[in-house]
Amino acid sequence: MSYFLARRIAGFLLTLFVVSIVVFAVMNVLPGDPALTILGLDSTEEARAALRGRLGLDEPVVQRYLAWIGGALHGDLGQSYSFDVPVSGLIAERLPLTLSLAVSGMALTIGLALTMGLTAAARHGRAGDWAIMLLSQLGIAVPAFWLSMLLVLLFAVKLRWLPPGGFPGWGDPVAAARSLVLPTVALALVQSAVLARVTRSAALEVMRQDFVRTARATGFAPRHVLWRHVLPNALVPIVTIVGLQFAGLVTGTIVIENVFYLPGLGRLLFQSIANRDLITVQALVMLFAAIVVTANFLVDIAYVVIDPRLRAQRA
Amino acid sequence: MIALRGLCVRTGTGHLAVRDVDLTIQAGQRLGVVGESGSGKTMLALSMMGMVPDGLQVEGQVLVDGHSIAAEDERAWRSHRARSVAMIFQEPMAALNPLVRVGDTIAEPLRRHLGLSRRDARARALNLLEETGIPQARRRLDQYPHELSGGQRQRVLIALALACDPQLLIADEPTTALDAQVALRITDLLVRLSQERRMGLLFISHDLAAVSRTTSDIMVMYGGDVVERGRTASVLSAPEHPYTRGLLAARPSLMTRSRRLPTIPGTVPQLNALAAGCRFAGRCARELPICASRRPPLSPTETGQAACHLLGAQA
Repeated sequence: MSYFLARRIAGFLLTLFVVSIVVFAVMNVLPGDPALTILGLDSTEEARAALRGRLGLDEPVVQRYLAWIGGALHGDLGQSYSFDVPVSGLIAERLPLTLSLAVSGMALTIGLALTMGLTAAARHGRAGDWAIMLLSQLGIAVPAFWLSMLLVLLFAVKLRWLPPGGFPGWGDPVAAARSLVLPTVALALVQSAVLARVTRSAALEVMRQDFVRTARATGFAPRHVLWRHVLPNALVPIVTIVGLQFAGLVTGTIVIENVFYLPGLGRLLFQSIANRDLITVQALVMLFAAIVVTANFLVDIAYVVIDPRLRAQRA
Repeated sequence: MIALRGLCVRTGTGHLAVRDVDLTIQAGQRLGVVGESGSGKTMLALSMMGMVPDGLQVEGQVLVDGHSIAAEDERAWRSHRARSVAMIFQEPMAALNPLVRVGDTIAEPLRRHLGLSRRDARARALNLLEETGIPQARRRLDQYPHELSGGQRQRVLIALALACDPQLLIADEPTTALDAQVALRITDLLVRLSQERRMGLLFISHDLAAVSRTTSDIMVMYGGDVVERGRTASVLSAPEHPYTRGLLAARPSLMTRSRRLPTIPGTVPQLNALAAGCRFAGRCARELPICASRRPPLSPTETGQAACHLLGAQA
């Protein structure tokens, strides 16, 4: 078990290292002068030279990479060109919002998907199954940004239950939570449609197995059999998809934050690209990549937590 | 006391998988049900659990303590499973939830059905395991099914079935998947439990040796019909029905090792191809013209009852 864990952690760190090289290479080694990109075509040569000096662009690539990654490990991601403040400060300010959005979105996704998937499996081939599958097909077909606009029209404009966008800050937790409701729902509805289908087919697979018959023969109610015996055994494929979806969810926040005017990392990334703020963009891309790699690492760990047979195998 | 009155199981196409079975199992009575695959043994057992697969229809009465339980009354059945009638199945390897520790599996009905506390349920689970004679019972509580052998798993399933102190234990080919030594110990265990607990035992098997060792009464089924019944020892030593004779002749023994075993020609036909009269017609060596069209009633013999036109012809 500890050997398995050590190997997974080594793999996780190696992946992060490779990702950092790729991100750095894409941002720095590509042809073109970053100073020109940042300052624009109508800048003077002197200004560009001064910026290159300030950014350390005159030094060799390897040295620049080491300086970047060394700083990042100490929490120093450089100075944002467009905001003229440390990038780490920009990120720290916005991370809580994006993280709350992603985590609540994922939680709602999982809750919805498990309920819908298991309900459909329990009613396999009957009307309830058909209805849920039809609904999820619709969910897969509808893009998140369009769904967001529909939600805003209905709940913010027509019913006036929730704010249409913007973020009041964490000072007023109730107002903050209210402004996150629609974005969370918009994120989760689309994601849960896919996950519900995965849950349904995984559950149907498990329901054919003998131990489910044993549980029924022991006199347990269908709901108990479903959640206690079927679901845990269906978790491996479900968790795999959840890991993949987390990546989709994090990138989904970029779109959703822009639709709802939420000052999170996604909005920051969007603004930084528009402002040609390469240093901030590089830090954000690295951060998003790290979040996705971490999610997949956690999924790998989850497998052995779920299944004692895998634990024995990998001990 | 569990009884069947005129029990039929009808398939979706209208054919009868079980035809007119009357049966009473008293406390402590051990009844063997024998027959080839497709003879309706398992359907008969499932109808006594209210667990006949979807699409099949149960007709006639299932009486638990004199009360008839309607086949579609799932709620009533749920309260009888494990408490009045419990069942163990053929494949002990697949019949336990692989993610749940053995102790928790056995404790589950104790806690949910009998309302025992976690501590008491665990203590009771240990008692039940010890009762089944599993070696190192205390250690087994915290093991997972994959850490146990086939015989040990079957003992765990027996302990689970005994948890709510049922009046009747149905064992559907409990030893088929086990090697001969282990199978003998399991059948002896079932006999001992039935005697000690004054619990009825319905022992389903195609292994005549196991049935003669385990049971006091026997019921021979063919194509959904009961063709012969009586005391196990008498029926097996002096079979009246040609099918029972065929089964006995096809049994291997030490004396006939060098000889090719006789067989009953053909296989059990599909339900829709069965004769309207005696269902053994077509495979029977001593068939009369009347057999295919008229169903022979169960009539008394020297050893019990048999359903065969030859009985009348001889008289």
